Amino acid sequence: MTGEHGKGTAGRGVVWALVRPVWRTLPWRALGAAGTVGLLLAGTSRLVSGGPTPWLTLVLLRAAALVGALGLAFLLDDPARHLTAPVPTRRPLRQALRAVLVAPPVALWWAAVLLLAPAKVRPPVAGVTVEAAATCALAFAGAAAAVRLTREQRPGQAVAAALLTSAVLAPLLLPDGWELFVPAENPAWDAAHDRWALVSVAAVVAWGLCGPEPSARWARVRGPGGRRAGSSA
Amino acid sequence: MTPTVSASGLSLHYGATRALDDVSLRLTPGVTGLLGPNGAGKTTLLRVLATAVPADRGAFTVLGHDPGSARGRQEVRRRLGYLPQTPGFHPDFTAFEFVDYVAILKELTDRGARHREVRRVLEEVDLGDVRGRRIKKLSGGMRQRVALAAALVGDPGFLVLDEPTVGLDPEQRMRFRELIARAGEGRTVLLSTHQTEDVAMLCHRVLVMASGAVRFDGTPAELTARAAGRVWSSTQRDPGAKAGWRTGTGTFRNVGEPPAGAELLEPTLQDGYLLTLDGAGATEVAA
Repeated sequence: MTGEHGKGTAGRGVVWALVRPVWRTLPWRALGAAGTVGLLLAGTSRLVSGGPTPWLTLVLLRAAALVGALGLAFLLDDPARHLTAPVPTRRPLRQALRAVLVAPPVALWWAAVLLLAPAKVRPPVAGVTVEAAATCALAFAGAAAAVRLTREQRPGQAVAAALLTSAVLAPLLLPDGWELFVPAENPAWDAAHDRWALVSVAAVVAWGLCGPEPSARWARVRGPGGRRAGSSA
Repeated sequence: MTPTVSASGLSLHYGATRALDDVSLRLTPGVTGLLGPNGAGKTTLLRVLATAVPADRGAFTVLGHDPGSARGRQEVRRRLGYLPQTPGFHPDFTAFEFVDYVAILKELTDRGARHREVRRVLEEVDLGDVRGRRIKKLSGGMRQRVALAAALVGDPGFLVLDEPTVGLDPEQRMRFRELIARAGEGRTVLLSTHQTEDVAMLCHRVLVMASGAVRFDGTPAELTARAAGRVWSSTQRDPGAKAGWRTGTGTFRNVGEPPAGAELLEPTLQDGYLLTLDGAGATEVAA
């Protein structure tokens, strides 16, 4: 082989080598647009005459978090997906690298969003951050599911639409005792955020299930004589 | 000769649709053509052999490796080049950057060696002079060659090409055929195509698929020979023909069982292909 495959340490070498090209393949246009709209929404509370109410600030922060998540729904869009499907670098690693690369700018953006909300009426930062993290995790899990279940090269639009629909319907359809969107002064605030944490965990688990290839299906494909991989090499 | 790819009983369903039906084959070095009408299962077979999708049943090895487990699949992918029907690119990348990106994904981690390899494959597909140009500024034919370069990077032993000449003008198609012929020297190439000319010019062997199954497996000459004495000319479409179409001279070319006294014509690969399909898909090819 003319090229030299990095054996053994290939994983780490591949990750470092991939950082720059993967950074360039991130959906910056969608992320930038979502980030800008999110900042504008958060900043709106400062423009309200007479000062914003805590309720309005919370709604605007939630809207900003949702818009940010809509941008993240495009994170796994990859026009070259079909060409790069059968490569030895595994899909979960490639998806995780995208998530890791986008995490610092998203964290900075969220900090800016929070700072734009007037301190006097800002809801508890931890709680609203858990909500934002869960929404972003849902977007990421949705994108991973779309990659797993479809051949779409750019599933972002469909994932964003599904996320937006869910966000609109969730407050209407969630049963009593399962509310997620409660005001900060509501005694159910802490319980609601336990549920948000559960949503985050469920989204991460969903990504964990959708990221890898369907190994059980692959296990049905065996070399002649039913030999296991490696034994025939 | 030890086969590069050995598959037996491959089957795959998409819901109620049978995309692959008990496909068995052995591929050896050289270019093997894969012909068939739309929906015949060509792309599905290519995707299975390229490890892009698992089959429901069956078994196969590529260069002695069994893709049934993660380890075997990794080994197959290290030795595989794949050009899908719709490759897709990152348009802001230059040709060099894009092929370099694919090379990294193929675990070519040594930067110097990788860059030499990327330059080599870009030269091989005659894109050395435009390697610094952004993909969005390249013509369709050039983009297709970038995709071929990405498939060739790492010098794979098994190359899977899914309709690579679709959408190319005749000159680009000839150029691409030459590249495929060159790529087929010393390695196994499986080429899916609608163009019987591609097969006639490039392939030492041809498979014909229909309804998910392999209907023919042999040389292009053997496929052509199937139509010997079964192609005739007439002034109107012969209702007894399995397929027939008007030619540029205004007469009809028919394939099937000729009537007595028919004016027989020299068969072509396309005639053999149409007869193998037994009329199925003939309209598409004849159109």
